Amino acid sequence: MQKGEIHLLLGGSGTGKSTLLRMIGGLQRPDSGEVRVAGNLLSEKSERELGEIRKQIGMLFQNGALLDSMTVLENVGLPLREHLRKPWSEIATQVARVLKSVGLDGVEGLLPRELSGGMLRRVAFARAIVMEPEILLCDEPFSGLDPVNVSRIEDLLVELNRSLGLTIVVTSHHMASSLRMAHQMILLRRGTCIAGSPETLASSDDPEVTDFLGEDGRSYLARLHELRAGGGA
Amino acid sequence: MQNHATRDVIVGLFVLVGLATLAYLSLQVGGIEFGAAKQIELHATFDDIGGLSVRAPVRIGGVKIGQVSAIGLDEELRPKVTLAVDADVAIPVDAEAAIRTAGLLGDQFIAVEGGGAEDGTLADGESFGMTVSAFSIDKLVGQFIHNAGVSD
Amino acid sequence: MNALIGWIAELGAQTLAQVEGLGRVARFGGHLVAAIPRRPTRFGFFVRALFDAGVLSVALICLSGFTVGMVLGLQLYTTLTRFGAEEGLGAVVGLSLVRELGPVLTGLLVTGRAGSAITAEIGAMKSTEQLDGLRMMAIDPVHFVALPRALALSIAMPLLNGLFIVFAIAGAYGVGVWRQGLDGGVYLSGLEDAVLFGDDVGQSLLKSLIFGLLLGLISTYKGHSCDPDAAGVARATTSTVVTASVCILLADYVITALWGV
Repeated sequence: MQKGEIHLLLGGSGTGKSTLLRMIGGLQRPDSGEVRVAGNLLSEKSERELGEIRKQIGMLFQNGALLDSMTVLENVGLPLREHLRKPWSEIATQVARVLKSVGLDGVEGLLPRELSGGMLRRVAFARAIVMEPEILLCDEPFSGLDPVNVSRIEDLLVELNRSLGLTIVVTSHHMASSLRMAHQMILLRRGTCIAGSPETLASSDDPEVTDFLGEDGRSYLARLHELRAGGGA
Repeated sequence: MQNHATRDVIVGLFVLVGLATLAYLSLQVGGIEFGAAKQIELHATFDDIGGLSVRAPVRIGGVKIGQVSAIGLDEELRPKVTLAVDADVAIPVDAEAAIRTAGLLGDQFIAVEGGGAEDGTLADGESFGMTVSAFSIDKLVGQFIHNAGVSD
Repeated sequence: MNALIGWIAELGAQTLAQVEGLGRVARFGGHLVAAIPRRPTRFGFFVRALFDAGVLSVALICLSGFTVGMVLGLQLYTTLTRFGAEEGLGAVVGLSLVRELGPVLTGLLVTGRAGSAITAEIGAMKSTEQLDGLRMMAIDPVHFVALPRALALSIAMPLLNGLFIVFAIAGAYGVGVWRQGLDGGVYLSGLEDAVLFGDDVGQSLLKSLIFGLLLGLISTYKGHSCDPDAAGVARATTSTVVTASVCILLADYVITALWGV
């Protein structure tokens, strides 16, 4: 995977998208093969060494994974508090800034259970980027969200990638919404994978690829291709 | 979060009350005393100590002044009991140590009684001159039957 | 013959699994202990855990203690009267409470009240990926989640034990003195004569401290190792109650035997 690009992991359920993402985060160790992040071989690292690497990685979990006994402020500010030992007053302003960038305002005092699904996802998003990581892993960031929130998060991802040069890995089975932002697509299928840019996958004749993309996906990609070509001209 | 302070106070109270109960158990019930109560060791030799056991109380007129700290045998194989008695209790040299029973079947204890002549008091490591052995129901019953047989 | 070999193989596999499980618990315990001196000390979390495990158990412990004391007073008084030894009530109540009933019943009650809650909470955090979330933020969940709770249990247990015993002594006083007409002074002086600090109160404290440590280890380990779904959390919670109860009863016997009655 290339630095500074948005990678999209696709595949039906059970093909190991989340597992692959968890391996990149060092949460699971591979049965075979090796995982390298920024030149570090994760499988040979101890939990403590992994911690150092993880400070460079932000991860957005499917259900947010916010600590439900802590407020939004404490949740988002936690990594700042833990690793940078900043005073809470300073953390509060930084958290407010990050929350604003994901379109939230004045929710610091709420508990996660008092938030809606879309807000929860965005708070989790804020927590993942508050340490300004170099790599952002997103596990199904679009699932279970309404179209408004989907496009909002999509915009956020693209924005982060453009402005900060963040490397982003996204898993999804939500085709249309995620295709337009991806630089690279990796299609997982029963232990094998097919990688390429959206364009190459769209024009691929591999039956597995066409199967997965379906007619809609292919036509969408084709249109996207034309659009990009048109924009370039 | 807004209840932080209240909760801290409640937890503090909980710890204090818990410690207070432990202190009550240790000091009052357990009878631990710091420094103050020095004890001296006295010895008493009996013919028969019955069911007397270590930790049995030593009393004068019902007031506890110490406890049995050890039970053993002397050179003549007679039961020898070591008592730890509060140092500030002046026991006359001619006092008597008797093994008594609380109630009919209650625990046995040592009663210190008598004495009072102006011969001084028992000091650490000294022994009681007079002792009364444990009162034993077996013996009493045996004696009673024996006496009854004689009078017939 | 084949059945026999199969049976032996099964036995071997079971034994290995048990040993492996013990090894995992030991490693988790080592991890917990190693996390104690690690900074930052999260005193606020510890206070919160002490509130959940300790303060919220107070009502249960006091009520149970008082009731157990009343029953002891009633039962023992009636039995002792048969031998004309009702003065012994204080001694019997005191010794049985301080040495055995206090620490053991407190241990079992706290297991059901607080230990199960801790397993369920950590299990739920695991199944909603909160623990993985912590790890991804380079925060050790054992240090962050398990340690304050395990420590809180170990501290709360002796304190609750003290409460239990005092309330039980009061309960037995209530029945023995007010209902049955025993002299209050006789009851209390019998109690104070019989119970010694070193042998009895010391043993009681040691037991409750060890029960607290056991429960702290078991409840946090079960939470951390549970299957991350609702059924897994339920199994882990049940398993905490069963395992901790059995461990407390076994440990009680071992400590009593080693101490020498």
